[in-house]
Amino acid sequence: MASRKKLLFGTALFLMLLLTACNGQPTTPNSTNNPKSGGTLVVAMANDPGTLNPDITTAFFTHYVTDQVFNGLVALDDHLNPVPDLATSWSISGDGKAYTFHLRSGVQWQDGQPFSSADVKFTFEHGLLKYHSRTKAGLTPVLSSIDTPDALTVIFRFKRPYGPLLQRLDVVEASIIPMHIYEGKNLLKDPANLMPIGTGPFKFVEYVKGDHITLQRNPHYFKAGLPYLDKLIFRIIPNATTATQALERGEVDYVDSVPGPDISRLRNNSQVTLVQGFGGSGGSLCQDTLIPNLTKAPFNKLDVRRAFYQALDRKFLLDHVYFDQGQVSTGPISRQMTWAYSPDVRSYSYSTASANQLLDQAGYPRGPDGNRFTVTFTSASSFAQLGQAMREQLKQVGINLVLESLDFNAAVQKVFVQKNFDLGIASYCNGNDPEIGVRRLYVSTNIGPIPFSNGAGYVNPQIDQLFNQAAASTDRTQRAQVYAAIQKTLTDDLPYFWIVDTQGYHAYRSTFKGFHLSNNLFEQAWSTGG
Amino acid sequence: MPLVLAVLVLTFILIHLAPGDPIYILAGDGGDKAYYTEMRAYYGLDRPLPEQLVRYLLAVIHGDFGYSFTYQQPVLQVILGRIPATLLLMGTALALSTILGLLLGTLTGSRPHTKLDRVITALTLTVYGIPVFWLGQLLIIVFAIWLKWFPIEGMVSVRDDYTGIFYGLDVLHHLALPAISLTLSQLALTVRLTRTTVREVLGEDFVRTARAKGLPERVVVLRHALRNALLPIVTVIGNEIGLLLTGAALTETVFAWPGLGRLLLSATLNRDYPLLMAIFILVAVTVIIANLFTDLLYTWLDPRVRYK
Repeated sequence: MASRKKLLFGTALFLMLLLTACNGQPTTPNSTNNPKSGGTLVVAMANDPGTLNPDITTAFFTHYVTDQVFNGLVALDDHLNPVPDLATSWSISGDGKAYTFHLRSGVQWQDGQPFSSADVKFTFEHGLLKYHSRTKAGLTPVLSSIDTPDALTVIFRFKRPYGPLLQRLDVVEASIIPMHIYEGKNLLKDPANLMPIGTGPFKFVEYVKGDHITLQRNPHYFKAGLPYLDKLIFRIIPNATTATQALERGEVDYVDSVPGPDISRLRNNSQVTLVQGFGGSGGSLCQDTLIPNLTKAPFNKLDVRRAFYQALDRKFLLDHVYFDQGQVSTGPISRQMTWAYSPDVRSYSYSTASANQLLDQAGYPRGPDGNRFTVTFTSASSFAQLGQAMREQLKQVGINLVLESLDFNAAVQKVFVQKNFDLGIASYCNGNDPEIGVRRLYVSTNIGPIPFSNGAGYVNPQIDQLFNQAAASTDRTQRAQVYAAIQKTLTDDLPYFWIVDTQGYHAYRSTFKGFHLSNNLFEQAWSTGG
Repeated sequence: MPLVLAVLVLTFILIHLAPGDPIYILAGDGGDKAYYTEMRAYYGLDRPLPEQLVRYLLAVIHGDFGYSFTYQQPVLQVILGRIPATLLLMGTALALSTILGLLLGTLTGSRPHTKLDRVITALTLTVYGIPVFWLGQLLIIVFAIWLKWFPIEGMVSVRDDYTGIFYGLDVLHHLALPAISLTLSQLALTVRLTRTTVREVLGEDFVRTARAKGLPERVVVLRHALRNALLPIVTVIGNEIGLLLTGAALTETVFAWPGLGRLLLSATLNRDYPLLMAIFILVAVTVIIANLFTDLLYTWLDPRVRYK
């Protein structure tokens, strides 16, 4: 009995070894810089997307996949400037209230049906404006109608001049979905949500829940020569360390976000390339922002807030908690939003001396135990280490930080919905335009039991007016001036504490090239075949 | 039956007590109040809790376990898709830990306080003390990264399309490390219990008789002692099924094994109530059946035990 078991085991082991041996294929490396066709890219993904309809959710995992299958009217380059995608050209009326788009002709859906302006109108009226949280909240107040005078023209008409429309029309914010598939159906539940048909570079093959999603090249893609890859496979690996190890071993080729402690090890691995990105399928230009509760003590006092901010050594936090994945924030707009970012703001350098002085001034002297006051830091457990580092720093100025680490859902509930907190934190993404992701923290109309809204409870009519002004112009230079004024006022008032403009690391096998820093699109990725 | 109902109601209450609202994960960020109110109405989350509970119970009686929030699919479909993977992992781990546990337990039980006994005891207890996910990571580092004998993650190799016997071998290849992790983490239980009962039984009168009769030691231990020692062990193995499911959740996460344990974890974090409820029911029913089964096994093993 025992020896038969041994034989079976031995045979199985031998066959397994044979299998692994057959996996390694000898190839001649191609070191030219010219993209060539072919190859399969295996991408690690931490969670099941659940649904593959990009218009009913903003979830990262859904968009990671659907951004490869669909297109937007425009695409955004690495400076967030619009370039043609489904639209080849556009013009804005003099009064800024009408945007006319000329659509590309000859575009087909992946099932062979022709694409037309009716699909765009349908996408917005029956999809985005009903179910997409960002588009609904942002466009419904200002959009008056969408007209389609012919099959290749779409006109967006607004109630008042609206500047940021183009930044809301890329595949991440507004994927165009096929009317002939979804017309008359319930977009939230339709089975087509699990078999997406788009116009994009990759078409859907299969979705094995919990395991992987396979896409393959769309041979009729309207951009000639693209995509280069034959196949794209999204492998679901929940644990980030396992994903990184799988990358090193060659089981996966691309990892979207590398855990901080693994960065230096990967840097020393010649088979892996590391790059820092700032945008992606879940949101671009993100800033980790502390949220003080302005409706009660101690953060209702400006001096206390200024002292708190100066008591934090943000450079230290960037180096040791964030593993250098980003830059220290200077204000409410990320450095990566180059046209709108203004360095001309009030700066708060790390100084325990200034902090101590301000706190004494503000009427919070040190007690017999050395503490001036106690505040509770309510956060999702992913911010636990940040909390610990801050606690040590704040001890130096007599602030006692109590750490309350919850799971993501519970933390969101406590801070944003119940508003039962002293200090919270969120990763607020600026988005492709300040109108999309910056405005919502500072305008008084956005105070309510909504996650990722104006959680601090900041009310400043001047700021409300400035944001409206910035949205109403279509001239970027003009808008930049208004945003500069906003940044100055907000850094003076300090309603939030901006810690780091995060820039995570992407890592991928060095035999691949053609990835972007500002998005997660694999349209131009190619394999050197090595 | 009443037990299952009690589990249902208790679970429902507990899940809804936990802070956190599935709406914000479901519907996405950046929306306004009107949007979330609409979404909440659509998912039936705005009805009062007792009403939600009653609706749910009525639906379950008709076999309708509802729609998963995160997967937008009938819950039953989602779960059934993952059962084979979990069964494979848990079944293998259960079989391995039972066989190995009985083996090692008998060995140490019949030779107590020898060097062999001490070494095996020390090893199994140490491994038992290591959290299963850390154990998994260690195994990955040694066997998948250094020695490259096994793959790191998944149930099948995603780059190759194996069929037939090669598919089976590929699955086995991927199964090895997660199954070994799960087995090792529970092994000590069976080993220690077997050791104790075997020792006890070996001290009894009938064993002395058997030895006096001149039977070889191996026959005494295996045929006479072990048979009788099996009774409490069977109970423990029945209980282990519940433990294995939670251990599987962590193991499945580390090894990216597409099973129910992982589904349970993500459903909890996402507050996917319908999916969570269904998984808890499944676990409860499984444990109840396992206990029933061990009770029946008892009567077969020990003719003195009879149920009315």
